[in-house]
Amino acid sequence: MIKAIIWKELLQYRRDGRILAVLFITLALGFAAAFNGWSMVETQQRERQAAVASDRTTWDNQGKKNPHSAAHFSRYAFQPTSSLSVFDPGLTGFMGSAIWLEAHYRDPATLRSVEDAVEIQRFARLTPAWILQVFAPLLAILLAFAGIAAERERGTLRQVMSSGVPPQHLFVGKAIAALCIIALLAPSVVAAVALAAYTHDEVGLPSVGLRLTGIVLAYMLYIGAFTFAAIGISARVAKSKTALVVLVGFWAASVIFVPRLATDVGSALSPAPAAADFEASLSAESSAPFWGGSEEAQQRRADVEAEVLERYGVDKIEDLPINYDGYLLQASEEFANGVFDRLYNELWGAYETQSDIVRLFSVISPTLALGNISSALAGSDLYAHRHFADSAELFRRDFVKLLNEEMIQNGGQDGYGYMSDNDFWQQNPDFSYTPPSLRAILSNIWVDILVLLGWAVTAFLIASRGVRFSFKQEAMA
Amino acid sequence: MSVQAITEQEKRALKSEPMQLILLAAFLLASLYAVLQGSAYRQAQVDAAGSFTAAQEDRNTAWRDRLVAVENGTTAPEEDRWAGLAMDVSFPATIGPGPLSDLAHGVSDVKPATSRVSLWRSVDRLFGNYQVQSPIDTAAGAFDLAFVIIFIMPLLMIALSYDVLSEDRELGRLGLLLSQPISVRQLVTARLKVRFGAVAAIVLIASLIGLFAGSTSLDIGTRLPFMGLWLLVAAAYFLLWTATIVWAVSLNLKGETTALLLAGLWIVNGLVGPASLSAAAESLYPTPSRLAFLSEAREASAAAYKSQADIMQGMLLDHPDLTAENYSIPEYIRTAFLVTKTVDESVVPILSKFDEVQAERRRFLSKLQFAAPSVLTLQAFNLAAGTNLERHIAFEKSVRDFKQAIMESVEGKVLVGERLSLAEYDALPRYDTIVPSVVSVLGNVALPIMFLLVLSTLLGTIARSNLDKLQNHLRET
Repeated sequence: MIKAIIWKELLQYRRDGRILAVLFITLALGFAAAFNGWSMVETQQRERQAAVASDRTTWDNQGKKNPHSAAHFSRYAFQPTSSLSVFDPGLTGFMGSAIWLEAHYRDPATLRSVEDAVEIQRFARLTPAWILQVFAPLLAILLAFAGIAAERERGTLRQVMSSGVPPQHLFVGKAIAALCIIALLAPSVVAAVALAAYTHDEVGLPSVGLRLTGIVLAYMLYIGAFTFAAIGISARVAKSKTALVVLVGFWAASVIFVPRLATDVGSALSPAPAAADFEASLSAESSAPFWGGSEEAQQRRADVEAEVLERYGVDKIEDLPINYDGYLLQASEEFANGVFDRLYNELWGAYETQSDIVRLFSVISPTLALGNISSALAGSDLYAHRHFADSAELFRRDFVKLLNEEMIQNGGQDGYGYMSDNDFWQQNPDFSYTPPSLRAILSNIWVDILVLLGWAVTAFLIASRGVRFSFKQEAMA
Repeated sequence: MSVQAITEQEKRALKSEPMQLILLAAFLLASLYAVLQGSAYRQAQVDAAGSFTAAQEDRNTAWRDRLVAVENGTTAPEEDRWAGLAMDVSFPATIGPGPLSDLAHGVSDVKPATSRVSLWRSVDRLFGNYQVQSPIDTAAGAFDLAFVIIFIMPLLMIALSYDVLSEDRELGRLGLLLSQPISVRQLVTARLKVRFGAVAAIVLIASLIGLFAGSTSLDIGTRLPFMGLWLLVAAAYFLLWTATIVWAVSLNLKGETTALLLAGLWIVNGLVGPASLSAAAESLYPTPSRLAFLSEAREASAAAYKSQADIMQGMLLDHPDLTAENYSIPEYIRTAFLVTKTVDESVVPILSKFDEVQAERRRFLSKLQFAAPSVLTLQAFNLAAGTNLERHIAFEKSVRDFKQAIMESVEGKVLVGERLSLAEYDALPRYDTIVPSVVSVLGNVALPIMFLLVLSTLLGTIARSNLDKLQNHLRET
């Protein structure tokens, strides 16, 4: 019986020009988005490779220079773009792609591609994930809004009942038929994945296969939720046009309005500091308390001096076997690192609180939950960026320490006059980055997974009970 | 039943039908939320610019006071050899919030708004670390009044009117209604006047509240002309949607088909159009690589550092007047000047390329924006609000030019190591904020407004003809 319902529905869909038109347009947009995503990621990866090579060459050939001057010039950490960003670039364009690893200062990531984007890109971005998040539910609504209501309006529901079709069979048959049509969008996703394989992902996300599986499952739950909801609403309302208006309204709220509203509320309740204030705090709190003229700063430097004199058992700086300027520089770095940790934890904390507030809104918008899961698995979310930025910061500290050590151990009494040369620079390590494990990512998005699962189960129950309800109503009529 | 009676009936329905009331109340709340968050956003912009400028002015006052002390003999020149140091000259530059930045944030949330123009900073670092806004927030886009008008308003208009004629026809009471001395056109017009009148009133009220709530730094009189342009754009967009809906209604389709047609137009206008246009603009006119720009600047910096003696020699050959007899300022200051100057010169081609590409994109979009009224409207809103991309690009360029002017003014003093005199310092140029002019904005938004009005008239004329035909058809049947 279910098979017969499925065939009948598929036949009806084939005759409906509106559905074919929407399907064709969505598929075409999906392919365009896949190609666009591939082109963007491929370019980003190529540019990153060139920048990494250039950074190394410039560093290696800087000639004779004091190591501390070199630490000011320092190097850059360039964030790799994951191959799965072809499918979902997430927040990639909105977070910087390069971090300057200079001495005395922890810089935020700079060079955000959104700054070079045209104004209207803020409306919508043509990516495969966006197409599926926005248009797949719309297709589901288009396919299912009339599912039960139209049968009732036409009087065919009574015929179906009289032929002994149980409500569950009707529901399952209609749901499977609608999902079969939506599955025709799959080639655009396959195209995105295939193109992703042809990018130059030199870092490599761990567990790419499992991530892809997770992404596919998440989108299936999401599309299933909208399909079931459409059938459920169709079964509960008197007219198919009412079902359509309610569902399109829900779609617009869930997909377009709530995500903007949620992030707006999130940033109002947990604002990030103003850029100028943040920069001023970083500079003032990391530098002046050590290098300034205040009593506190003088005492800090005196403590460093006393400690190093005691350690080497000498009375005067001039008698030290090391370069004291380098030693003091390293002490200042260690003092500043604590300040950077505190201020950046506050900054990241503000972002993460925003993210948690947005997550609350996923109870009324499954798109938010799906967006979090999708970008997290694609390695393009806030967590991935923080992981990269924190790794870069750890490298910065080690790298600056390496340069200070060079001055401390080999600089003797030359102070800032000590010079290193290309032989030394060429021995210095590169920043090497390993993205977070899948386990770490899952521990960050389990709430989103539960919410999405909750949406799918709830929608399933609404549809299942709704169809039973419509049978009862029809029987009583 | 007369037109008057239909209008009265509509007014009563508007007050008594829960669904319409809920929709209008939600729209009112969304509009008020948008203007209130907008005014908070604008206030934050004003505060940030004010505190930044004040901090820089304090710094400059202190710098100038030291120079005054040396010139009037309070401080002996040898006691403060840094007073009047030409290399330390710096001035604040701010773009200032656009006149209506509270109503349309545009690109103001991702582009730099302030700069400390200092000779220590090469042009690639002129804007400091401003990229600390939340990526979650910037990715989602702002929930401002422009968003409410472009996205939510048309959807509400569709929900309120898609069945303005079809419901009566489907219930079989259209013939009865038209047996009264009233035409189809009058019926549709009378109903839509009431329903859309409520929508227009909410937009107008919200805009006026926004005008007052956001008037912080500029007085209302200054904002008023821009608000006039803003309202013209909003009115043209509102009329376009009114005409579109009347046209769709005049096709005399089933209610659900009319709803689907209008929802489809809304999606193409608000989502598919902008996404496709932005992807096309960015693919056809790709910007140069930001990472390559960074690499170029670093290579130039490293090369200049290595060959500073040659560069200085070249300078002295070109400007024998700069030969310093008694250079009393540490060498690294002159080195820093030469390095930043060389970097500035080396990145000029890339910066010019950025400007060219942005100009090409703008030209491309200025033609194709007519394909999607939402794009046209958004760009017109941003122009009226002073938050458009062009203004921000002009700001960045003007800051670079300003730095060049300062550098040329003090170059001689830096290279010979002489302090600036007070008169020379006071004669240095100061940064003038670019204030958008109403006339120039009007010149830019006139064509979009005209286009929207012409399109509305065209659709309205077709709809009128369709409704008259429908009237004749109904009379005949």
